[in-house]
Amino acid sequence: MNAQSFENQLRQATAPTADAAAQLRAKAAALAEFQRLHAAANQPMAPESGLAGLRRLFSNRGSRNLWVGGFATACVVVVAVSTFFLVPPGQRQVLVPPPVTQPATHSQPSAATAEKTEPQQPNVVTPPEFAKTEPAPPAQPVKPRKSKPAAQTQAAPETTPLEPINPPVVDEVVAGEKKYAPAIPSPSPTNIPPPPPAAPSPSQDVEIQEVVTTGTRKQSWLNRMFSRNAPQQSIQPSFKSTAEGRDQFEHFEVNPVKQVSADPVSTFSADVDTASYSFVRRELNQGRLPQVDSVRVEEMINYFDYTWPASQSRDEPFEPTVTVSDSPWGEGKKLIHIGIKGYELPVKQRPDVNLVLLLDVSGSMDEPDKLPLAQKSMALLLETLRPTDTVAIVVYAGAAGEVLPPTAVKDKETILQALNSLRPGGSTAGAQGIKLAYELAERSFRKNGVNRILLATDGDFNVGITNKNELKGYVEREREKGVFLSFLGFGEGNYRDDMGQILAQNGNGVAAYIDTLNEAKKVLVQESTASLFTIAKDVKFQVEFNPATVAEYRLVGYETRALNREDFNNDKVDAGDVGSGHAVTAIYEITPVGSKEKSVDDLRYGEKAKTPQPEGKTNEYGYLRIRYKLPDGLRSRLIEQPIRVDAGVPEGVRDDVQFSTAVAGFGQLLRGGKYTGSLKYEDVIREARGALGEDPFGYRAEFLTLVHKAKEAGGK
Amino acid sequence: MDEPITGLIRRAQGGDVASFSELLDLHYGTIYRIAWKWCGHRTNAEDITQQSCIKLASSLAQYRFQAAFTSWLYQLVISCARDWQRTQKRHQHDSLPEEEPPARGAGRPEDYIYLVQLLDQLDQVGEGMKETALLVHGEGLSHAEAGQILGVSESTISWRIHAIRKHMNKAEALMGGGV
Repeated sequence: MNAQSFENQLRQATAPTADAAAQLRAKAAALAEFQRLHAAANQPMAPESGLAGLRRLFSNRGSRNLWVGGFATACVVVVAVSTFFLVPPGQRQVLVPPPVTQPATHSQPSAATAEKTEPQQPNVVTPPEFAKTEPAPPAQPVKPRKSKPAAQTQAAPETTPLEPINPPVVDEVVAGEKKYAPAIPSPSPTNIPPPPPAAPSPSQDVEIQEVVTTGTRKQSWLNRMFSRNAPQQSIQPSFKSTAEGRDQFEHFEVNPVKQVSADPVSTFSADVDTASYSFVRRELNQGRLPQVDSVRVEEMINYFDYTWPASQSRDEPFEPTVTVSDSPWGEGKKLIHIGIKGYELPVKQRPDVNLVLLLDVSGSMDEPDKLPLAQKSMALLLETLRPTDTVAIVVYAGAAGEVLPPTAVKDKETILQALNSLRPGGSTAGAQGIKLAYELAERSFRKNGVNRILLATDGDFNVGITNKNELKGYVEREREKGVFLSFLGFGEGNYRDDMGQILAQNGNGVAAYIDTLNEAKKVLVQESTASLFTIAKDVKFQVEFNPATVAEYRLVGYETRALNREDFNNDKVDAGDVGSGHAVTAIYEITPVGSKEKSVDDLRYGEKAKTPQPEGKTNEYGYLRIRYKLPDGLRSRLIEQPIRVDAGVPEGVRDDVQFSTAVAGFGQLLRGGKYTGSLKYEDVIREARGALGEDPFGYRAEFLTLVHKAKEAGGK
Repeated sequence: MDEPITGLIRRAQGGDVASFSELLDLHYGTIYRIAWKWCGHRTNAEDITQQSCIKLASSLAQYRFQAAFTSWLYQLVISCARDWQRTQKRHQHDSLPEEEPPARGAGRPEDYIYLVQLLDQLDQVGEGMKETALLVHGEGLSHAEAGQILGVSESTISWRIHAIRKHMNKAEALMGGGV
């Protein structure tokens, strides 16, 4: 958007009409504050009655989880003698303004003046009832949270009714490895009884709990409650305790240092996904460090475009680039970069596209950065297709449904209309949606074309095939029929990265995470050929290290892509796919023989002579093998190349090597920096800044600001 | 400023609940509008508005009739929005705008979200850039008025507007085409 249209749009933007109920609430809160202040002014010497604590109970943020959950709410009503007035109980689902009153004339003004007196929630209302009438001591009903200064402390009365169902989460948070999946039993709403209303505790002066169900969003509410609640109960005093989301990521350990003498061969699958980087960016932009497991270093490295020389032939779609440079974080160690860039398909050669958009329109997608952004992203993608390509739209929420049968892109208006008519609502039935999408894809199957399902969701796959393996098997079988699947993740909060990874990895597709329209543009427009047109599938890398020259090695990233040594030659084993023009970069850190910086000591009783000493091979660090299949091939092909000790870094790729090294360093720091020695964010910034290259879209510059933000968020 | 408002404010400053209540009714729409333009999200805007109303209760006494009441109000709402944004960062997961009911009337406010993303980008261009764009373009204020609200000189506002324009055009060139 240029400046002119930016200004025009800002000028024309009109706020929606204010919600009357919200206005009533705000007014009541302000009036209460107003009266409190003026009352307090009259009686300045009154003893602290604990009103501050009580107000905290009401404070919006603490309660809003619940309110917003839309399923149940616990309302604690605290009454100071003679002052609060009663809202007649009775009408649930009806908005009632909060008590407008003069609370506790005996209180001094609380320090935190800006707290709300009533949680806001448009569709649920709990008519207060009263059990007791004395003011409560402030902290008692509140689980103390040590993680925040008092003014920020959110009272969490709502944790009370929920505690019985989520204790495991607390430990996990404290342990620092966040994975909430185990805390969520079956997401099916029928399995889980609503949280028991907590009985008013005799020790607490007042506590009334009411559970109000709105019925439709139970499971997403449950998901949310389980994991959302966790950070609140956390006693970890660090910033991270609140920084953890409910987003689910597969846990993995960082690749260890391996000894060449014991384990000379390293095998892994290509990975062109970039979801991790976008997610990390989103978290950092909000001022917090990402969950450790959301950081997949290889996806961060591969987010950026590198100028590895591309192959000129479709039949041999790669030409590996191998460079050797000094490791910036390991004295005496070296980095080996292996870069490939897929053959770029000329526009004329593009196969026909048969696309099925599978959109999640469940209630949880109802946020500006979810369904609306998905709709806009799809509209962008439409621009890159040719008139003869076809698009179909399937939605899932409650029941899965076909919104648009396969329609030629020349009928763009029809497609856009269908796309824009979608509105969120209801629960998620992902599996039925997937089945229907595959049916449609098969109906309009293009034999020599691209048949792909693009799934856009925040990851709530709650109903139907919820079992990961079952879903995986299903996607695999469909892949064999020639229909591939890519995953576009949206939103955050209950983003199911683990599910997206499984679907995309097994569906021969990419998993991307879309947080802004710019990202949609990058993934769907600039890289549309890469996302849509696979030029090689099941791309596997294997490096055999030379014990004569390399003592130890460590693969940076690719933890979730590790393969067994024997998988390399087994064409039945699935691996990553590379699209037209996609670049894949892998980095090994090695300790050359003779370096003093070895991580693992030699064995005293190991016989050195046993190590094979290949004659005349001391000029090679190792041997690289890449296996791949052509998109329609069943048998794999092999590319081989030695890794020469004197490979160095050719001038043309110097910036790329340096920049990818900086990204790798950053990713490792975000994961805890187990192997990065004294590397600091400043070093990353320095390395990256020196290697911005042309950076036509500003992605590398953006990376610099992210490192700054991580430094700030991490306090390092 | 017209006399009735002044009288209303004076009475409210003196502790008259009815006057304060009337003042709130008169200005809720304005506050909400600014808040919404700030964040582009209905319930978040309601949050900010509510905080602003509470803040108004506690700081009305500090209003000295030196600037127009609305200018003073802008200041207050912007400061509340900033505070809100900070707590959002800290309590992000406590306060996600979940399950927002479909917006009533007023077309499709979600179209505005991209604009908000651009506005937020301005935060990285420089301090006060977002407010400047909002006040000058979004609210149609003059550079002088915006300067008064933000506590900077008129020429600073003009310079900022220029810098924003430059930034937007540069970003546009980088992205190669409008969205």
